[in-house]
Amino acid sequence: MTKDMNNTDIQIAICGSAGDGTIASGDIMKRAAALMGYNVIAFDLYPPEIRGFGKCISRIRISSEQTYSLKRESDIFISLNDNHAIPHVGEVRDYGAVVFEDSLIARVPEGRHISAHIKPAQVPYAFSIRQISEQATNSARSRNIVVLGFIAGLYDMPARVFHRVIAAKFATKPQIVIDDNTKAFDAGMRAGGAVFKLDDVAVGKPRDYSNGSDAVMMTGNEAIVRGFLEAGIGSYFGYPITPATSIMERLAVEIPRRGGQFLQTEDEIAAIAATIGAAYAGSRAATATSGPGLALMSEMLGLGVMAEVPLVVVVSQRGGPSTGLPTKTEQSDLNLAVYGGSGDARRIVLAPTNVEGCYRCAGMAFEIAETYQTPVILLIDLYLSNRYETVIPSEENTFAPKPRLRPEIAKGDIYKRFELTYNHISPRALPGEEGLMHTITGLEHNEQGRPNDAIHSVMSIKRHEKLNSATRFPGLTVCKRFGDEGPVDVGILGWGSTFGEILETMFEAQAEGIRCSAMKVVMLSPLPMDEIVAFFDDCREILVPELNYEGQFANLISGAVGRPVTRLSHVTGSPMVIAEILAEVRRLAGSATPKQKALGS
Amino acid sequence: MTAPLHHVIIGSGSAGYGAAMTLRGEDADCMITMVTIDALPFYNRYDLPGVFRGHHDWRKLLAVPPARYDELGIKLRRSSRVVDVDGERQTISLAHQEDVAYDRLLVCAGGRSYLAENLIDSVGLMHGFGSFEAAMRVYRALPKGGTAIIIGGDMIGIDLALTLLDTGYRVVLIANQQTFWPHVVEPVERKRLLKALENKGMTIFADERPVGVLDTRNKKFSRAVALESGTEITGDVVMSFCGLSSSVEFMLGAGVDIERGILVNPELRTTNETIWAAGDICQIWHDKEKIYKFYHGWKNVRVMGELAARNMSGSHEIFDVEVEDRLDIDDDGNLRSTFWTR
Ligand SMILES: Cc1cc2nc3c(=O)[nH]c(=O)nc-3n(C[C@H](O)[C@H](O)[C@H](O)COP(=O)(O)OP(=O)(O)OC[C@H]3O[C@@H](n4cnc5c(N)ncnc54)[C@H](O)[C@@H]3O)c2cc1C
Repeated sequence: MTKDMNNTDIQIAICGSAGDGTIASGDIMKRAAALMGYNVIAFDLYPPEIRGFGKCISRIRISSEQTYSLKRESDIFISLNDNHAIPHVGEVRDYGAVVFEDSLIARVPEGRHISAHIKPAQVPYAFSIRQISEQATNSARSRNIVVLGFIAGLYDMPARVFHRVIAAKFATKPQIVIDDNTKAFDAGMRAGGAVFKLDDVAVGKPRDYSNGSDAVMMTGNEAIVRGFLEAGIGSYFGYPITPATSIMERLAVEIPRRGGQFLQTEDEIAAIAATIGAAYAGSRAATATSGPGLALMSEMLGLGVMAEVPLVVVVSQRGGPSTGLPTKTEQSDLNLAVYGGSGDARRIVLAPTNVEGCYRCAGMAFEIAETYQTPVILLIDLYLSNRYETVIPSEENTFAPKPRLRPEIAKGDIYKRFELTYNHISPRALPGEEGLMHTITGLEHNEQGRPNDAIHSVMSIKRHEKLNSATRFPGLTVCKRFGDEGPVDVGILGWGSTFGEILETMFEAQAEGIRCSAMKVVMLSPLPMDEIVAFFDDCREILVPELNYEGQFANLISGAVGRPVTRLSHVTGSPMVIAEILAEVRRLAGSATPKQKALGS
Repeated sequence: MTAPLHHVIIGSGSAGYGAAMTLRGEDADCMITMVTIDALPFYNRYDLPGVFRGHHDWRKLLAVPPARYDELGIKLRRSSRVVDVDGERQTISLAHQEDVAYDRLLVCAGGRSYLAENLIDSVGLMHGFGSFEAAMRVYRALPKGGTAIIIGGDMIGIDLALTLLDTGYRVVLIANQQTFWPHVVEPVERKRLLKALENKGMTIFADERPVGVLDTRNKKFSRAVALESGTEITGDVVMSFCGLSSSVEFMLGAGVDIERGILVNPELRTTNETIWAAGDICQIWHDKEKIYKFYHGWKNVRVMGELAARNMSGSHEIFDVEVEDRLDIDDDGNLRSTFWTR
């Protein structure tokens, strides 16, 4: 079969049961691929249940070019547990590979072996995974590593890279663990090397091998931590909740090392209260939570808005409402993030669309919060929190705090913390600064911060209008258009993690000859209206795919622009499906009237 | 309403494939499962020498596009080896520890290349040619213009050897009793046929017995065949083509009669009334000669598969193909056989 050695774009899916080491082998695969110099996007699905029950799937896209989401079909599929794998084997493309166990120890009921479900156009590779693991290590535990070796052997990947990753992965374990897993890998590799390759999956060389050393692979949560650290985060207070917990776990190590404040509080209310306190005191302070935590924090968030305190709140969404689907993804907290809480509490909401965006938004979030003296919410979701991508971080740290201008007041004057100014932003003093004593409160207040309800309408204007220029914040991408310029048939408008699938769909639609553009909106509050309206003007149809039932972003946008959009909701707990978006794009593109088509508008 | 019958076919070669397609034609509702060790859907094995003519994409060899199996509701279970058949419980056992129940079973497991006992220890140093994968391995192991050593030279081997000569390789044939199998060739005629092959460019060792294959990878040629006479023949690949032995091991506990192959009556039914057999694996009762006979060659085999399928669906047709055993090789090396056809 033909094989383009120069271009690699493959997706590997590994499916097993919790306890099979599925996620670990996916982790080794993606780290090895990144080390080889490929671009990597990876996402794991795992169950909330304890070991031995639920299904785990690790999907890894490896490419020599820039890619934006997982592919809609996998090229290689590995089953470590047929029960879990059977419903997913259909995701493998024609002439792709399905790797599975051929020597089970327990009998399986009729039809419950994966060989009964492999499609005639898929290529089966059956081999004795367990036996090979046992022969190499005296235990079946390394089955997950044997299959990696098999893949490396079959597709001629360099063993030394895997050896390095295995050694790093098990570095904290006794040497025998590293040795055994290396042996298991090598044995699997011999088996893979001995098999005749029948599939047409082409693994070429990475485009530029030297890039590998520059690129760092990280998850959205890790990127946020990195951005925060580069921005000089001084305080973090949080309460654990999936999928945000890993942010806290990392900062629990890093912040104290840098002399900052870290505390796991008793709940989310305490977490945000402490964050507000630290931010008020001048520390770069943040907390991270998920939808249920944000619901608890919403009253305190109002205090942040009212008292004009610059804090950062990361919200990683999961399926809701209530406890909902704690380990599945969803984009259904947009309303809560943008509007949630009492009163008119306008705040800044940033929704990065990929891991690099998480890093940049996190890096800039404190400066934005400090500039506008208000809470900034970083709104992501489980898919972005846990998704791995290769990122090229900035060479210089551009996120470090800039010197703050101390308010200048004439001798004898009274410092007005909430002074009314031309741009509605008041000079900010920190508590304890000499001559700048002031009050802050959750009550409506006058310029000095003293309770006063007569000035409510003026102060409401201040708190709202001061954010208007945020959409032009220097260096921040608040929205961006991709694809065809000028008038198009279909414009796809997206936000957050879904945008990768939107972009990939746009490329597929363009390849089919559909005139198509896509726009990502990163700043959800305030909205970059000029760009959005211009996009609407160019698009005959606007499609808004998102991971919630109501179309929360669609409502936000069409309400703001005053024009209808087509909604595409996907609420399965898993990421948006390219095929679904593409079907909708095709339908909308096909609905152009002959006259419109003739006019090319 | 009665539940649709489940027909299970073991093997996805000419016989099994022909049977599956016929079964679907006979009965639109029955369940059909083909179980096979093969990784690929059915292709004609006689096309395999084509790898030396650049046919390296197996998709182009397939008899029908893979999607056709789904369209026809034929479940294809590949990479699955049958290790046992229980004729009473009507189940087959697969090596990966799964039992599959059937109402009617058709066994079309063919045969595998026969290897003389004194060469069994050398098997790791020889190449097979029974599948696309095996054929491609031979292709990759043979350098351009390299030498293939063929032991025996049944019709599969002779066909390959002629293709190799045509495509610029050298062939050394160590002839034996199985040369020209399944044709039975008289000694005089055999001499003439070997001469024709020699004229075509083959190097022939007519009455020599190979005793082992040697790994000579570090020398000019990577393989050598040691002959009883002490001579060593060097080449790049060594292949044995000495006819087939039927793949019947997994049928030993099935309660059907087996001799060299599975014994069937002219309706291709075994001694178990829910089990039929067709293709290279079966010996069919010949009423006039009063013996069980093999009928090789893909045309015969295909006819058997289709006939067995019709009988499994209720017919009572008999296999009465009578073919004369005649083989000729002309000066250009063209084979003309009465049953071994393209
Ligand atoms: C290279 C080659 C060239 C040939 N050229 C010609 C030619 O030119 N002209 C001609 O007339 N004939 C030719 N033949 C012979 C012809 O192809 C055979 O007669 C025919 O393939 C036999 O068909 P079959 O279905 O009986 O068995 P096969 O085609 O051998 O198929 C047997 C099937 O059974 C499966 N199987 C075996 N054991 C098991 C098990 N335990 N569990 C599950 N599945 C099992 C195998 O995987 C395979 O799918 C050639 C054969 C070969 C190998």
